[in-house]
Amino acid sequence: MVSPLREVRRGLGLLALGLGSCRAPLATEPLRAAPPGTPPEDAGIAIRCGKLLTLDPEARIFDPGMLLLRDGKIAYVGKPIEVPGGYRIVDRPESWAWPGLVDLHSHVQSAGWWDTNDMVKPLNPEFRVRAALDPGEERLRVADAAGVTTLFGIPGSGTSISGFGVLYKTKRDAPYERMILRDPGGMKVAFNYNPQRGGGDLGSTWCGLSWNLENLNDRAANLARREGPADPALENLERVHRKELPVLIHCASAEGVAGSVRMWKDRYDTVCVVSHGDWDGHFAARFMAERGVPLNHGPRLMNFTTLRREEKILGTSKAFVDEGVPNFSLNTDAPVIPEEEFFLQGSMSARLGADPYQMLQALTIHPADSFMIGERVGSLEVGKDADVVLSSGDPLDPRSRVELVFIDGEIQYSRCDDGQVF
Amino acid sequence: MLQVCLSLFLCSGPSPAQGDCLAIRVGRAETISKGTLEHAVILVEDGKITAIGEDLPIERGVPVLDRPDWVVTPGLVNCRSRAGMDGNAARSFDPEQRASGELYPRQDVWQDLLDAGVTTLGLYPPGSGIPGQAVAVRPRGATAGEMIVEDGVYLQIYIGANPSLKKMLTDAFGKLDEYDEKVKKAREKWDKEQEQKKSKVKSKGKSETEEKKEGQQEEKKEGGEGQAQQEDKKDEGKKDDAKKADSAEAFVPPEPDPKVKPFVDLRDKRLPALMSINKAADYLHLLDAIDKREFLWSLHVPLRDDVDLYEVADKLGEKKVSVVLTPLVTLQPNTRRERNLPAELARAGAKVVLVPRGDGVAEHERWMFDVGRLVAAGLDRQAALAAVTLEAARVLGLEERLGSLDPGKDANLILWSGDPFEPQSRIQAVMLEGKIVSGEVGR
Amino acid sequence: MRMERTAWAGLLSLAWVSAGRAAWALPQEEQGGGEQAEGGGEGEPAEEDENGEERWFAIVGGDVYTGLGGALRGATLLARNGRILEIGRDLLLPEGTEVLDATGMRVYPGLVALDATSRISGGAFGPSLEEEEAEEGIDVHHEAEAGVQEALRALGAAQQETKDEIEDTFDPFSQYLVLALATGITTAEQQNVAVKLKRGEIEGILVCDKFQTSVVWSLSNPSSIKGAREKFAKASEYLRRYRAFEALPEKEKKEQKEPSKKGVDPGFLGILEGKTLARFNASAREELIGIARLAQEYHFRPVISGCQEGWTVAEELGRAGAYAVITPRDRNPKDESLVRPGGTSIENAAILWKSGVQVAIKPSSTAFDLGGITGRDLLALTVEAGFGVRGGLSEEAALQSITLVPARILGCDHRVGTLEVGKDLDAIVTDGDLLHYETFVQYAVVEGKLVYDKEKEIFFAHIRPRPKKPEPPATPETGVEPETDEGEGAGQEETSQDEKGEEGGS
Repeated sequence: MVSPLREVRRGLGLLALGLGSCRAPLATEPLRAAPPGTPPEDAGIAIRCGKLLTLDPEARIFDPGMLLLRDGKIAYVGKPIEVPGGYRIVDRPESWAWPGLVDLHSHVQSAGWWDTNDMVKPLNPEFRVRAALDPGEERLRVADAAGVTTLFGIPGSGTSISGFGVLYKTKRDAPYERMILRDPGGMKVAFNYNPQRGGGDLGSTWCGLSWNLENLNDRAANLARREGPADPALENLERVHRKELPVLIHCASAEGVAGSVRMWKDRYDTVCVVSHGDWDGHFAARFMAERGVPLNHGPRLMNFTTLRREEKILGTSKAFVDEGVPNFSLNTDAPVIPEEEFFLQGSMSARLGADPYQMLQALTIHPADSFMIGERVGSLEVGKDADVVLSSGDPLDPRSRVELVFIDGEIQYSRCDDGQVF
Repeated sequence: MLQVCLSLFLCSGPSPAQGDCLAIRVGRAETISKGTLEHAVILVEDGKITAIGEDLPIERGVPVLDRPDWVVTPGLVNCRSRAGMDGNAARSFDPEQRASGELYPRQDVWQDLLDAGVTTLGLYPPGSGIPGQAVAVRPRGATAGEMIVEDGVYLQIYIGANPSLKKMLTDAFGKLDEYDEKVKKAREKWDKEQEQKKSKVKSKGKSETEEKKEGQQEEKKEGGEGQAQQEDKKDEGKKDDAKKADSAEAFVPPEPDPKVKPFVDLRDKRLPALMSINKAADYLHLLDAIDKREFLWSLHVPLRDDVDLYEVADKLGEKKVSVVLTPLVTLQPNTRRERNLPAELARAGAKVVLVPRGDGVAEHERWMFDVGRLVAAGLDRQAALAAVTLEAARVLGLEERLGSLDPGKDANLILWSGDPFEPQSRIQAVMLEGKIVSGEVGR
Repeated sequence: MRMERTAWAGLLSLAWVSAGRAAWALPQEEQGGGEQAEGGGEGEPAEEDENGEERWFAIVGGDVYTGLGGALRGATLLARNGRILEIGRDLLLPEGTEVLDATGMRVYPGLVALDATSRISGGAFGPSLEEEEAEEGIDVHHEAEAGVQEALRALGAAQQETKDEIEDTFDPFSQYLVLALATGITTAEQQNVAVKLKRGEIEGILVCDKFQTSVVWSLSNPSSIKGAREKFAKASEYLRRYRAFEALPEKEKKEQKEPSKKGVDPGFLGILEGKTLARFNASAREELIGIARLAQEYHFRPVISGCQEGWTVAEELGRAGAYAVITPRDRNPKDESLVRPGGTSIENAAILWKSGVQVAIKPSSTAFDLGGITGRDLLALTVEAGFGVRGGLSEEAALQSITLVPARILGCDHRVGTLEVGKDLDAIVTDGDLLHYETFVQYAVVEGKLVYDKEKEIFFAHIRPRPKKPEPPATPETGVEPETDEGEGAGQEETSQDEKGEEGGS
């Protein structure tokens, strides 16, 4: 039996079925974006929903709520208002609405690992993932059906600088250009562990790897202060040192985390995000917090070890957040965790002690803000991309179903029409 | 604590100069049975302790070893060891095998062990399952026979949460039951034969009194085997009857199969068992396998981290089980919390026995050091001392003979330069059955 | 609508219970009440007094979800010697009853885990998941391409052995057992038999044994299908002959010989006689159809593990009375060379349930993964059930999928699976909706003994620790007694007796 609140919601749901369900005639339900040459009366889409989670800086929640989507952006978000003329209405008073999820550490943009984990040299700053991005990749469709709308598709972690990844949206049937949010989206660095397995021929120990990174980056940093790219191969790397592009650093354990922060924040002062930080990485959390370096955590969310006398099943998300790590975000490292179970990373973090709302932030606005796309995605605010997800309940509850997904104001997934994909 | 001067009556035989008699006066003696004795005097003659007490007067003429700073303890008893043995086992069910078969006296290791203060060893057979019986030896002797103190001191049994080990034990008891059945049937048959013999005698015309006595005989048959025989001899004076009486024997039960005999001894409490297990669950399965059978047994648990024996500490304490352990402070599973299992078991009431951490000489040399660390971590000092002397002797069934400083017991002693648990203390001398076998003690 | 029906059922049951008291109680209780009205007796009639043989345990004050639908708010479960004797409100507890206060919390039946890792009943904490999966031993439900015959033969031997083995290898102090209890699991399938997670004891752990016969039915091994058909045919033939033989008059019976059992597989005979359940491991649509039709032909109810494409043939499976053991998050794409629908679907559980298939749920990994990845192993059993709800399964069906249905599959539903009078008191007390991702098991009770307390174990005590209970008021304010331990003081009992005396009529 469900709790009383949910029962009420279900009760309302029963009533509302007549209004907004798949079975009733869909006089008010738009199926797809209007084809070219549509009359101007289709000014946009008005979504009437139940609980609306904006994830904005004031953490506003409206219940019921309304969104107006226009030209791919959010034109209004807040309490229900009189719908202006020409708007098509999507009426889902029993659904929750939340921003599309943002996963900064994902490898599902192409069919397999091998497409994105080339280990040509120990450092591959020229490497660009965009060549491997496959818009028709089946897993993107499933991810989309679970509310994941923005992904940072990155190469693997075989080499120290794995390359530059692509920030894109999980739009279906969209050509490459319409999917891209930013290309290059950012740089991917693998600070420790995987490259130590011997990717490349130079440097398979920590010292060797660190030297590799510093050697190259010192040159790039110097070049960055000059006009124009002196070395085409380092064009993007210079942009990193000019803080035009962020860096995602894969690392693990406390010394890996600390080392990454020392290099990429202290030495090079880049816009950086430490990624993973698994196992006992949380022991370096305060170090990160002091320097304001955000963490993109996952896929492991739990640590059970007696090494440092912990003797309990520790939820590491909570451990990081408690130490004050800013913009704490989560990832899947898909396909380690299937991309569509991105929300579950938030659920399991909450289960192990973290605050559920903070975990929802960790799936949306925090990754966006920490990776320089916070102006575009991550929350439902006026002026941002209209990436909206409607679900039957709490986004962190596995029992909730995703009903509709909008990306840039267009429906990408509709459970009624497409069948429940996930 | 003064004792009556028994010393006056001692050492009356051979002249003192021959060295069979010795008085040892030391600062402290750990008697084990009666605690610590200050200013102790120990009198040794013919290999036994004849007296011990505080400040006992010593008869003139008895040689005296006077060391007011030294401490005396009984010799160390390692009740479960493979020291000096190198056999391998082929099968796993050999209850009749004896470790004594492997004894090889001409090894340096025995003297090394004596130097380390070990005066008694319980050597167990190699193998798994039920590999055989242990032997108690003194580490000295030119032949195996000279080394053996007693053979067949316990039956080694490995048991636990393991179906084949449990089955091995229950099958062995099953065979014991079968043997008992066989004996019972043989007995019944013998009784019938005796009856038939008597009725034959009867038919030759006996007096009423004889018949009466036969009646009594029949009743007494339950009482004893020999009685019927004697009654027969008494009553049947006639030659024919006398002949018949001569041919009638006491009931001799059939011989058990050699693999069953140890279990007969086990059941009759002539042979105890030592059950080796690894974790708390094994103990429950041990009880399940034993079921309602009664026999003497001690427990052995090799300690290592993650052993959860504390879960059954209460049960072991209640039954006052002797538990043979390694002197280690271990960690509670999945934590870094230290558990002093020997101390916990001792507090619960179990009889703790400690053996060295290995079979090598080095492990024997550091044995007391390891035990001392357990004392520092909370094990009761007297329990620790008993664990390497009297309680170990008990596992070997030799607690009447050695393991403590009591009159009548073997004079197996260690003379320490100080507290045996202090790392700076050294063994100055070792006495085995009245003879100094290690160390120099000038008179 | 399914939801409406159950909602109304819930309301009705609530109404029923609140109208009278202790609707589920045995007549004894009224006698007890009567005695007390007379002169303040001890509680139950004399034979229940403590003479060393009666062991009483009660869970008091929680919202009891029996597993049959609906909930009893603020109810009490009373067990004698581990069996539930009464369920109701304001029960009189005999002196010496051990009481577990569940006020403000929920009480559910203990969960039943299928195919659980054998480490639960004996394994030291070790490393990775992969190693665990490798060491699962004879995986009798695995459709082997090669060596199927060997597997079958081994199975015959294994089934005989495993019964004895688990009883002789059970480690009741295993840390994994504690983790299972922490997840709410009180009965687990270990080496093909159902085992009670009795902490600290090795007696009476078997709940029901040898209740399954494994049948190999695999498209990739056509001879397995042929072999299965033959075995069923033989067994069926024998059974027919045997029944005819039994029906003969005595005289003729003596003359004739009993039909020979030669060549008849005892496992398959057991299936037809209803003594064992047939266990299949199949996911392809064609396999499922084949199994469903075989089941209908020979009148047995199949248990099908995997059943990934079951949603495409749900009605057929429902007609066959099948049990399905599924993992809602299984992901297998449809075979693109085939036109018909296929592949996995998140709605599998719901669609099967709606067609009358008994659905049991297990997670994708039935081991405990402590390496860092969460949400996909046995610790996340309830999360997996939640994904069933995501696909449309009702909440009640989801609860049954991890309690009653697995109990039926393991043949132990006469003892566990729901909270009913006569069944074992195997229950868990949670701090919220069992299927909510933040809910933890606070207490676990197995056969009327408290075996797990979240606060006292190292694993989860630090996560949302249980708030300390507020002190009950010194004097009752409105005559309503606070929910304190019943049966502990004569004074308290007397007060409640008076109140009962007053309410007696209603």
